[in-house]
Amino acid sequence: MDSDVFAQLVVFTQQVANGLANGMGYVLIAVGLTLVFGVLRIVNFAHGEFYMLGAYFTYYVTALAGIDYLGALVLATLAVAAIGIVANQFFFRPLRKEHEFTILLSSLGLALLMANGAEYVFGADPKYVPTRYADETLEIGPVVVTQQRVLVIAVAFAMIAATYWFIRHTRMGKMMQATAQNPEGAQLTGINTGFVHAYTFAFACGLAALSGALVGPTAMLTHTVGDWAVLKGFIVVVMGGLGSVTGALFGGILLGVAESLGGGYVSLGFKDAIGYAIIILVLLWRPQGLFSAGSGRR
Amino acid sequence: MITRRTFGLSAGALALGATAGKALAQDKSAVRIAAIAPLSGAGAFDGQLAVEGMQAMAAVINGKGGVLGGRKIELVTYDDKGVPEEGVSAAKRALEQDKVDLIVGGWFSAVALAQKEVTRDKIINVMTSSQHPKVTEEGHKYLFRLNATSTMMSDRYAKFICEKMKLKSVAFITINDDYGRLEVENYRKLLGACNIEVKGNEFYNRNDTDFTTALTKLRSLNSDAIYVSAINTSQGATIYRQIRQSGYKGTIIASAGNMNPKLVELSGPALEGVYCVSLFAPDTDNASAKAWMAQYGKMFKNEPSFIGSLGAQAVEVLAGAMDKAGGAREYDKIAAAMKGQPWKTLLGEITFDGKGQALQNIYLIQVKNKKIVSAS
Repeated sequence: MDSDVFAQLVVFTQQVANGLANGMGYVLIAVGLTLVFGVLRIVNFAHGEFYMLGAYFTYYVTALAGIDYLGALVLATLAVAAIGIVANQFFFRPLRKEHEFTILLSSLGLALLMANGAEYVFGADPKYVPTRYADETLEIGPVVVTQQRVLVIAVAFAMIAATYWFIRHTRMGKMMQATAQNPEGAQLTGINTGFVHAYTFAFACGLAALSGALVGPTAMLTHTVGDWAVLKGFIVVVMGGLGSVTGALFGGILLGVAESLGGGYVSLGFKDAIGYAIIILVLLWRPQGLFSAGSGRR
Repeated sequence: MITRRTFGLSAGALALGATAGKALAQDKSAVRIAAIAPLSGAGAFDGQLAVEGMQAMAAVINGKGGVLGGRKIELVTYDDKGVPEEGVSAAKRALEQDKVDLIVGGWFSAVALAQKEVTRDKIINVMTSSQHPKVTEEGHKYLFRLNATSTMMSDRYAKFICEKMKLKSVAFITINDDYGRLEVENYRKLLGACNIEVKGNEFYNRNDTDFTTALTKLRSLNSDAIYVSAINTSQGATIYRQIRQSGYKGTIIASAGNMNPKLVELSGPALEGVYCVSLFAPDTDNASAKAWMAQYGKMFKNEPSFIGSLGAQAVEVLAGAMDKAGGAREYDKIAAAMKGQPWKTLLGEITFDGKGQALQNIYLIQVKNKKIVSAS
């Protein structure tokens, strides 16, 4: 093969690999967001802040308490899930009967509270979540991916599969489906929807924290990182269809790869605009989402 | 998302009002200096370092009895978020509402370029770390700038790169703003003149956190070195780490004036051995610098940085010039005093030209064993 063509091919493959790794990070963020929307009917602006908390908790547990990164990741996920239960109890449960816009404002308030609180508690200085996988690379021929990014991809796939299985095949998952489809009907059959809401929210916060713990180490950590996370999450959720878990998977991968190919072959300055452009197109032509089968199914 | 942004802005403004109010309550006869810096957004940490540097120097001066026969120096802080529009509104508030005596700001070039029009011929405005030549070239009679311009820095740095680094080619990764665009332009000329081939440049945006796309392109160019123009610490550290993570094995060159202890700490092995030029070498034996660093250590947990030293120098020079002029609002006299003589400061001797541009020493520094040291 001509060496120039080969070099081009290497760059292309590398960009797809970069996009896939970024995309799977987006998927992890988006799954929790889409679940909360599907089951609780909440557009949760504070989702990015749970991502931020996950990353900070991982930082404090590994850097200061000296616990191994993988252990810290699990601890952070559980801790943030527990915080999610509390957040739901104080910020969303009392507003269940209110207009959706009120709940949206409540989530916005929670986001601001958490972001500013984080600056106060954790400080404005950037932090680096140490993991032994961040600087180690996996080289497949000339294509280089850090082990951390491989870990993001692997965990994201595993979590998606687990979530899908959980929703389809467990009693709690079926209760989530029932609550999502018809809350009153679910209550009539004896489902405690308050309980369903609580564990769905906690599960989503745990997923957000897990994504923060995994994606956080690929860049420096600051208290404003939640803005970025929730934005990417929203783009993916709109692309994939609100409330759809499989939609989030394909939406995330598509966004990641589109950004890296667009940034690589069109213009890097254009990279962020790609997400917005896709959103506009999706809302115009397929408002139910690119990967959503129909309007009723979630 | 627009709603959210607006909320963030107004909440920020409220918080700011509260801190400004607190600062006002202390001493009626204090000389009030506005410290306008990026305290939120991507440059938040650098803004914090800058303000800490100013506060430590103000404490040193106040400890010696203050200025103008016993008046204390008081800083009023404003957040410019690293954004030109916010810098403009902060300067307006400082000037019109809070009626401060002097203004120090201009950490980022884009902000300084917009802000100077608010302060034009109205109030003494010392610009600090911004490097764009136009800040002083199109400045005003009360405008001063401490940092060397990017042209002065790149002249010095390019000489070193050409003579000592033995490179055949270089590629750039640059922030897409006034400062970054000028950097690329300068170095294309200067390095081209000594036969170093410039193989390419990638611009990134102020809020980017992932550089793998850009670095994949740069790595495929196979240049001997990558020159990194990064003006804020968190982005800089991310870029340095991701360069090494991308598998690039060549030389890294850190952009002039953007080296600080936190960056070294965060970047880990990626910055080891990397050169930079700066006005501040932490291993200096200057007495004023030592007093300032000691005070800084007492007040803050961060390490004294170049950006903080520039803030300190602003306060130091203004204090001297006020004393000479005999008042905090004698702007013509203060400006004349600043331009009229060389000033001994923590960064060594500084003089200002007719346009308010400072001339001071530029040192070559290097990261060795995770410390910033002078190099030759």
